[in-house]
Amino acid sequence: MSDRKEPKSMERRRFIRSGMQMALAVSLGGVASVSFIKSTSKDLVWQIDPFKCVQCGRCATECIMTPSAVKCVHSFNLCGYCDLCGGYLKPDPNARSTAAENQLCPTAAINRRYIEEPYFEYVIDEKLCIGCAKCVAGCTSFGNGSLHLQIRHDRCKNCNECAIARVCPADAFQRVPRNTPYLIKGGFTKGGTSKDQLKKG
Amino acid sequence: MTGLLIISLFVWWIIKDPTRQFAESIPGADNRGSDSASIGPPVVIGENFQQFGTSTSSLKGTWTRFRGADYDNIAKNSQPLKNSWTGNQPEILWSVDLGEGHAGPAIYEGKVYVMDYDEVKRQDALRCFSLENGKELWRRSYKVSLKRNHGMSRTVPAVSSDYILTIGPRCHVMCVKRESGDLLWGLDMVQKYKTEVPLWFTGQCPMIDGTKAILAPGGSAIMIAVDCATGKVLWETPNPGGFKMSHSSIMPWTLNGKKMYVYSAVGGVLGVSAEGADEGKILWKSTAWNHAVVAPAPVCFPDGKVFLTAGYGAGSMMIKVTPSGGEYKVDVLKEYSPKDGMACEQQTPIVWDGVMFAIEPKDAGPLRNQLICVSPNDVNKVIWTSGKDGRFGLGPYLIADQKMFLLSDDGTLTMIKPDSKRYIQMAQKKLFDGQDAWAPMAIADGRLLLRDSKKMYCVIVSQ
Repeated sequence: MSDRKEPKSMERRRFIRSGMQMALAVSLGGVASVSFIKSTSKDLVWQIDPFKCVQCGRCATECIMTPSAVKCVHSFNLCGYCDLCGGYLKPDPNARSTAAENQLCPTAAINRRYIEEPYFEYVIDEKLCIGCAKCVAGCTSFGNGSLHLQIRHDRCKNCNECAIARVCPADAFQRVPRNTPYLIKGGFTKGGTSKDQLKKG
Repeated sequence: MTGLLIISLFVWWIIKDPTRQFAESIPGADNRGSDSASIGPPVVIGENFQQFGTSTSSLKGTWTRFRGADYDNIAKNSQPLKNSWTGNQPEILWSVDLGEGHAGPAIYEGKVYVMDYDEVKRQDALRCFSLENGKELWRRSYKVSLKRNHGMSRTVPAVSSDYILTIGPRCHVMCVKRESGDLLWGLDMVQKYKTEVPLWFTGQCPMIDGTKAILAPGGSAIMIAVDCATGKVLWETPNPGGFKMSHSSIMPWTLNGKKMYVYSAVGGVLGVSAEGADEGKILWKSTAWNHAVVAPAPVCFPDGKVFLTAGYGAGSMMIKVTPSGGEYKVDVLKEYSPKDGMACEQQTPIVWDGVMFAIEPKDAGPLRNQLICVSPNDVNKVIWTSGKDGRFGLGPYLIADQKMFLLSDDGTLTMIKPDSKRYIQMAQKKLFDGQDAWAPMAIADGRLLLRDSKKMYCVIVSQ
């Protein structure tokens, strides 16, 4: 009978494996805890009520971020997919085309794509969008209002005293729970500010 | 060394193109496809008929076409209507489901005619209902494929004692006998005149003038007259200017004793002789009025002025047509944006007691969607508005028995006293949870017909 001990290399491997498992468990637990805390947090963030917004253009100029943390978002389930899109084309355009002189957006941040007769899809390029709301005004005036502004929380610094909220003429800026930070048209309806009506981000 | 550095920097500055990351915005980036309007099986206009029942009615009232018998949206000889509403008033007498659209009804002696689109069977359908109970009496239909595009149907039939004339979403004209619904003839304006189907489908409401059907195809003929009985084309007005069909409708006008038809097309506005040796000839035209989408009809005044208006940022224009030695001169008196005076997106202004009423479009600034009153002599000066609490969307309006009825997009009906000096609201009631209630209304025998995008309602407004 021999009382041989396992090689040291095996113990080390087991130790490392156990350590890794422990680290993974702690990480997962940590992430879960943070997520839980965030999801039940009473912290508030800024957001724009799209039904109050009057497309004044201040979101583009007053935000401390350059370009603004406010971007246009598109509610595709509301969009009419029109050829003559009031959010994409200037009023009374020369032609319904992608030519620069026909586009309403000053930074060409809306991509127009033909789907099939008679439908066109409009997608916002957030890197180019400056939050000027020209497209929102056009869409609201001549379309379904599917284009609207939202504060993007991957950019927003969430200043306690939001520089845009101070000057918003429509009082459209409001604080909403951090776990439901967006008020997207379609999921969010006019006057619907209760928690269950806020669309999760 | 310093010199070399400066030279290097200078070369770098010269060579560097700070705009090389820019992308050009040029036509065609959307990969627009070719128009598929002609794709699909041939359309056999009026191929189907279904009889559901018969009806005899003692009702004698009529609303025979878009904007009524006199093309002014005013019901003449209306029976007395209620001055106020209490409780459940005004009562909804009946309602019927319709295909998604904005087509308004016409009324003739107890019968209601609507040009509908059956989304299940994929058919244009002229439907006849009893005005008394909403029961469908018959339907004349034909198969035509459409894709939803903010509704399909959007035209009001023209009705005379003998005929019903319709235009379907893809410019198919159909004429049937009024009583029986028997097919008389059909005309595909896309095939015959190379009409370009307007955005969101046809909005032009057809005209019956005596026994003639008057239509504005655009394409190879800007206007045509067709004999209602036989379908024979009586005259065609050439279209050298390449004007296109708009959503506007032809309006009759008599200027200095000369009867003509006025049409606000895409590309311009024109007047076509309606009588005499030059019938069907262009008397005057102007390309000063040229917008991509034109829905309201021209409002013509006895002094030669014509008020033109359109939505989508177009604004309005007042022109003056002056006869001079057998010719006609057209002058632009005013042109302005929607924020600077009366403008309309969908409906046509009403002229009443020397003033004009209309609902402003959404891009009219603070006046958006408000009813306003102006004088035709100064359309930029607003006499009164319905105020910021009186917004009506893009909804229709008409006048009967000294009362004006306005329907908001969401199904709220408002009754006001039309007045040249101030806004006087008499009653208001939310009738139903409506969506896009934009179709022109009709009224006869104290029954007001109105609809939203999917349902038509008959409302009792009589005393």
